[in-house]
Amino acid sequence: MIEVKGLSHSFRVGKKGKETEVPVLKELTLKAQDEEIVSIVGRSGSGKSTLLHILAGFLQPDAGRVLVDGTDLTAMNEAQRAAFRLERFGFVFQNFQLMPGLTAYENIELPLTLKGVPAAERKRKVVELLENTGLTEISGHYPNELSGGQQQRVGIARALITEPPVIFADEPTGSLDSETEQDILNLILSLNRKYGITFVIITHDDEVAAIANRQYRMHDGELTEGGLRHVV
Amino acid sequence: MSFKDQIGFVRQHIRRNRLRVFMTVLAATMGTAFLIVLASVGFGLQKTIKDDILSNQMVTQIEVYSEDMTDAKTDAMKEIGHVEAVVHRKQLVPVVMGEVEGHTGSMNTHFTNFGDEQASGFRLADGRFPENQGEAIVGSKFAQQLVDESVETAEDEEPAYYEGELIGKTVNLSFSEAEDGAETMPLTIVGIKEEPGKDWAFDGYLYVDQSLIGPMETAYAAASAGLPEGEDMPFTSSQVNVYADDLANVKAITQTLKNDGYSVYSVSEEIEQIDVFFLALKAGLIFVGTIAILIASIGIFNTMTMAVTERTREIGVMKALGAGPKLIQRLFLMESAWIGLVGTVIAVVISYGVSFAANAILPIVVDAALGGETGDSFDVTFSVIPWQLVLIASAISLSVAMISGWRPARKATKTDVIGALRHEL
Repeated sequence: MIEVKGLSHSFRVGKKGKETEVPVLKELTLKAQDEEIVSIVGRSGSGKSTLLHILAGFLQPDAGRVLVDGTDLTAMNEAQRAAFRLERFGFVFQNFQLMPGLTAYENIELPLTLKGVPAAERKRKVVELLENTGLTEISGHYPNELSGGQQQRVGIARALITEPPVIFADEPTGSLDSETEQDILNLILSLNRKYGITFVIITHDDEVAAIANRQYRMHDGELTEGGLRHVV
Repeated sequence: MSFKDQIGFVRQHIRRNRLRVFMTVLAATMGTAFLIVLASVGFGLQKTIKDDILSNQMVTQIEVYSEDMTDAKTDAMKEIGHVEAVVHRKQLVPVVMGEVEGHTGSMNTHFTNFGDEQASGFRLADGRFPENQGEAIVGSKFAQQLVDESVETAEDEEPAYYEGELIGKTVNLSFSEAEDGAETMPLTIVGIKEEPGKDWAFDGYLYVDQSLIGPMETAYAAASAGLPEGEDMPFTSSQVNVYADDLANVKAITQTLKNDGYSVYSVSEEIEQIDVFFLALKAGLIFVGTIAILIASIGIFNTMTMAVTERTREIGVMKALGAGPKLIQRLFLMESAWIGLVGTVIAVVISYGVSFAANAILPIVVDAALGGETGDSFDVTFSVIPWQLVLIASAISLSVAMISGWRPARKATKTDVIGALRHEL
């Protein structure tokens, strides 16, 4: 379970010595139960990406706490947060963020390599996941040889490979056409049901946000809960 | 991330930037090779000079000087630890003439103890050591001391040296100051000393047992009776050589003798001075060579900085996925270390090649430049690469490579994940 309590953050802008503080997040409270899909929807500049960066441990907030199964992420140093991410989180990015010099197979394998999983076990897990996600045929391809939809599927497979309890998705369909977008959303839904993974999706698209069990709306750094619903 | 995977990661990055990495390795190679070859000249010249000294002198010999040397003192020297032998030679000071079958010449006569001489390495080319009173040994060039004055020779011709067999012959000694008809002292030649190691050394000496000092002094007194008194000249002058059992012990024995108040000279002292000089020279050469490596390090720094800049997004992705700062830093340090290591290995191989070529070609070039006048004895080692030099150069090269990669690696660890994920090239 993810709990956010009293989260505030400001950015300092302007020349050195003449900086001004621009509040981005204002006293936010958020909750994501296990096996839920949570969406945070808002327009550009609303602060939703900053919220995701803090939830993922990329950024330290000015105030407030982020608790993941009771562990306070904001109390950790950079190395501890990195280790925590590797163990507990998966990430899906808008621009896929695949390593250009690695094949689809190697990109999916990367988190396991970082974890120090032995080569034989890595191979078994990656092959199994490639089969489950229908990516076997393109496993030897480099990212620039794949379509946007294929790249995002590889990105999702990379997020899944370590079997994390939480996956953060930052505009997961932002770079895709509407048909592919639906494919990816269906994949997220099926993974949530099949593996019980908690998804936290950041989006500006209400249609994408609609797949969530719990929806939040972000406006000028303030978060309001849009309600719970069961997605069929 | 396992070490094997880290190496795989580094290799993959190097493969992607082959040309740039190759050029950087080339710069590191040139810098390191320059350092090794430059310093090898110092090692080479040092070896040449030391070899020259060691080939001309007995390395375990210590020459001892004292104004009042006595047999008791030399006997005391024998008690010093690791002393193999002490030879106390007394050279006859007054001029004495010798005659063998009509050939005459002045005799450089040494009184000595043949037992001690044998212990110090005195060897005979022919014959035996004296066993009876009145027997002598002669140097290898003794025959050239004896000239038949009755044979007239032109100025450009060699004098009529004695050319016959020496062993068994009698050499009749007479003091030059003696009047004609004065009594002579006959000595039988029983052995010929081995030629000295150095080509230029001329051993025309007459070696006799020290027990002959007394009789010869008496003969000298009788022969010079009635002559005007000369200067207050001693009958003999002492020359003492102490021989160590090993080169390693020469220094300690030398020090003991110095402490006992003797003036001492040993080859180890000379070598020590040479070593000090060449140590300074080699340090200077290594310093100059290190500047070349430092110049090469700018290339490594540049390559690694570009690598970090180019891979900003990749670093961001890796950090986002959970790679810690230490791992990121290690990957980049390994890359710069790899450049330094490969550069060093190639440089060592090239340096040995250059050193071999220099030693083979330069003597010929120098000989040709001097119009072939260097002669057979021209044996100069221009370059020597001992393992210590390889070790020092490798340590400098690798350290400089690591230091060059340190700052870019630190920069990589400080890469902001959010900014890196937005980074596009």
